[in-house]
Amino acid sequence: MFHDATFTHLARGEALDDGAADFPMDEDAFRGLYDRTARGLWAYLARVTGDREQADDLLQETYYRFLRAAAAHENETHRRNSLYRIATNLARDARRRNLTRGPSYGEEIERVASDGHSAERTADLTRALSSLKPRERAMLWLAYAEGASHHEIADTLGVRPASLKPMLFRARQKMAALLGRK
Amino acid sequence: MSHPECEFEPDVLAAVLQSRWPERADSALRAHVADCGICSDVVAVAGAFESAREEVRVPDAGGIWWRSQLRARREAVTAAGRPITAAQVIAFGCAMGLFGACFGATSAWFQSALARIASRLSNFDTTALTEHSFIVVGSIAVVLLVPTAVYVVLARD
Repeated sequence: MFHDATFTHLARGEALDDGAADFPMDEDAFRGLYDRTARGLWAYLARVTGDREQADDLLQETYYRFLRAAAAHENETHRRNSLYRIATNLARDARRRNLTRGPSYGEEIERVASDGHSAERTADLTRALSSLKPRERAMLWLAYAEGASHHEIADTLGVRPASLKPMLFRARQKMAALLGRK
Repeated sequence: MSHPECEFEPDVLAAVLQSRWPERADSALRAHVADCGICSDVVAVAGAFESAREEVRVPDAGGIWWRSQLRARREAVTAAGRPITAAQVIAFGCAMGLFGACFGATSAWFQSALARIASRLSNFDTTALTEHSFIVVGSIAVVLLVPTAVYVVLARD
């Protein structure tokens, strides 16, 4: 009905307001998925980008693109991997846009955390992460915060599974040293 | 180059992720971590992430759903309007062409001006162009290439 050439923009807008957008799931199913995945996904975005506000924006954008893609997923793990892949690509694009502007990694996270009791731990973590490459931050978070398998991490980050193990090993060693374990 | 692995790494990671580390973890596992460089790295990294996870506050699911719905509808309206806009542009072009044809066929002033231009073009001396062909080709190349180069540079940025 929206291809009718006599339809005005106003009338089309009103007509669309009457119905729901064509998403592959209803609101209840989305709420369930969101409740299971949003905290982890937001933390991932915040740690990869180093910016809480940007993590909020990217979280919204990730779920929007996930809903719009309307892809068929075999199971919950597949859905989750798909969300993280979208988030990874968005974070990469955001980093390219932010190369010449915006605060440096973690400034805003440290400022927010300085009001809370975990300020020192957060500052240590933020400083350590700021010394790592974005891909190292992403793979460490997926492996040691999300408990993702090597295959899932490789799929999310778009690297070969065989290459992941040595990369993860080096990143973990580097991060542990930065956190002062050694 | 091979990288050392530890068979207890999954157990150590599970203990940290399930908040069992260190108090509620198996004593043998704690003793192992004290001696194992790989597992102590895992504890350091996963433990730091686990403490950071406590600060997470995400927007409400309803807000995310509502904004996604709104945006999808707006994009649908824009997409629906696109073919109509194209048809309107084509119709406007046709109307202008028809108007121009009618004007050209009926205006004596236009026809005399057209005849003057045609006679000047037929008398045009092309020897100057061939003598300075390098300048002419160079100018055309600059006119064509500069905007292309600017577009490529801006698109890359």
